[in-house]
Amino acid sequence: MMWLQEYFNFRLVSEYAGVFAEGIWQTLWISAVCLALSLIFGTGLALARMSGNPLLWRPVAGYIQFIRATPLLVQIYLVYYGLPLILPAGLLFDEVQSGIVALTLHTSPYMGEIIRTGIASVARGQIEGALSTGMTPRQTMRHITLPQAIANVMPPLLGQTAVLIKDTSLLSIIAVFELLGAGLLMFSETVVATESYVTVAVCYLGIYAMMLVLSGIVQNRLGGSAWQAH
Amino acid sequence: MGWITDKWAIIIQLSPFLLEGLWMTFQISIIAIIIGSLIGFTLGIAKTTGFRPLNGVINLYLHLLRGSPYLVQLYIVYFVLPATGIAWLSFDSYMAAIVSLSLYTSSYVTEIVAAAINAVPSGQAEAARSVGMTRAQTYRHIVVPQALKMTIPPMASIYVIVIKSTAVLSVIGISELTRQGEVAIMRMPGDIMFIYSLIAVFYFIYCYPMLRLSKWAEGRFGKVRGNS
Repeated sequence: MMWLQEYFNFRLVSEYAGVFAEGIWQTLWISAVCLALSLIFGTGLALARMSGNPLLWRPVAGYIQFIRATPLLVQIYLVYYGLPLILPAGLLFDEVQSGIVALTLHTSPYMGEIIRTGIASVARGQIEGALSTGMTPRQTMRHITLPQAIANVMPPLLGQTAVLIKDTSLLSIIAVFELLGAGLLMFSETVVATESYVTVAVCYLGIYAMMLVLSGIVQNRLGGSAWQAH
Repeated sequence: MGWITDKWAIIIQLSPFLLEGLWMTFQISIIAIIIGSLIGFTLGIAKTTGFRPLNGVINLYLHLLRGSPYLVQLYIVYFVLPATGIAWLSFDSYMAAIVSLSLYTSSYVTEIVAAAINAVPSGQAEAARSVGMTRAQTYRHIVVPQALKMTIPPMASIYVIVIKSTAVLSVIGISELTRQGEVAIMRMPGDIMFIYSLIAVFYFIYCYPMLRLSKWAEGRFGKVRGNS
C-alpha cells in the first residue's frame, strides 16, 4: 500500500476524519432544514402563483423570475449583507442562519414550480369528488390535491433536493463550516490540495449515491404511472 | 432626491467597470457552452449506440460530474490537477475556469442529447433502415437532425445555469461580474447592498432573455425530459 501513499496520503486524511464527519453532518442538517422550509414556502408560492388575484400572483411570478435569473452566490451575498440592515439591531443572524435563509429563498421557487406542475397534474375528478362529498376547498387541497401532487412530482423533487445539497457548498464562501469547509480547513493546515479536495468530492459523491438509493426506494414504494412520465 | 442622485452617480461611475466584468462573464460562458456542447453532443450520441462498456464509462462520467458541487470541481481542476505534476494540467485560473465549466456543461448536454435521440420515434429509424440506409446514415440524416431540434428548449435553460455558475469563478480570482463587484465594494464599502443589487440586475439582464427563449422554444419545438 505504500505506493498508493505517494499519490494519495490516506493517513493524513484519516487524521482529519473527525473534521470531515463534522462537515458531512453540517451539510446534511443544513440541507434538511432548507428542504423542509423550502417545501413549505414553495407550496405557498405555488398556491399564490395559481391564485386568480393579480396582486398576489404577479409579485410572486416576479420573485420566481428574479431567483431563476440571478446566481445563487449573489443571492447569498444579498442575504448575508442585507439581513442585518433590515432586521432590528438586537436580532443578529450568524453565518449559518443567513445561509439557511438564502438557500431557502433560492430553493423555494424551484420547489414551488415543481409542486405547481404536480397540482396541475391531479385529475379534476379527484377534486370534484372531494368537493361533492362536502369537503371544503381547503380540506380538498390539504387531503386530496397536495398528497397526490407531491407523489406525482417525487422524481423532480428528489432531483432538486440533490441540487440543494450541492448548493450548500457555496455557503463555505461566507465562512459556514460544512463539508467543503472541512476540506478548506484541511487544505489551509496541511497545504496538500489532492487529499483535501478529492476527499471532499468523494464525500459529496457518497451523499449523492445515497440519494440515488433513496430515490430507488421511493420509486418502488410509489411505483406506477407517476414515474413513467418523467 | 439626494439619495437618487447619489446612487445614480455610483451607477455612472461603476458601469464601465462592471461591464468589463459582464464581458468576461459573457466570454467564459460562451466558450464553456461551445466546448461543453461539443463534448456533450459526442457523448450523448455515443450513449445511445447501445454499446454497453461505452455506456458504463459515460454514465460514470455523468455521475461524477452531477454528484459533486461545481465549486468542488473547480477546486479540483484549479488546485489538484496541477499537483499531479503533469505539465499540461497546470492550468492558470482562466484555463481552469474554462476547463471545469466546459466539463460541467457537457454533463448536462450529454443527458439532453441522449434523451432527445431516444425521444425520436423508433419508426423513423426503422423506416430509414428498411429503405437501405446504413446505421450511420440513419443517425446522420434521420435521427440526429430531428433530435437536435428538440434540444433547443433545454439547451437555453442549460445556458442560464452556465451563466449563473460563472459567479462562482470569483473565488479563484477571475475578474467576471461578481468579482468586479467585490472589487468595487472594496472601494465603496458603504454601498455594499446597492452594488450587489446592481450586479444582480446585470445578471438578470443577461439571463432573463434566455429564460424567455427557453419558454418560447418549448412551445415551438416541444418539451423533452432529460434527467435534469
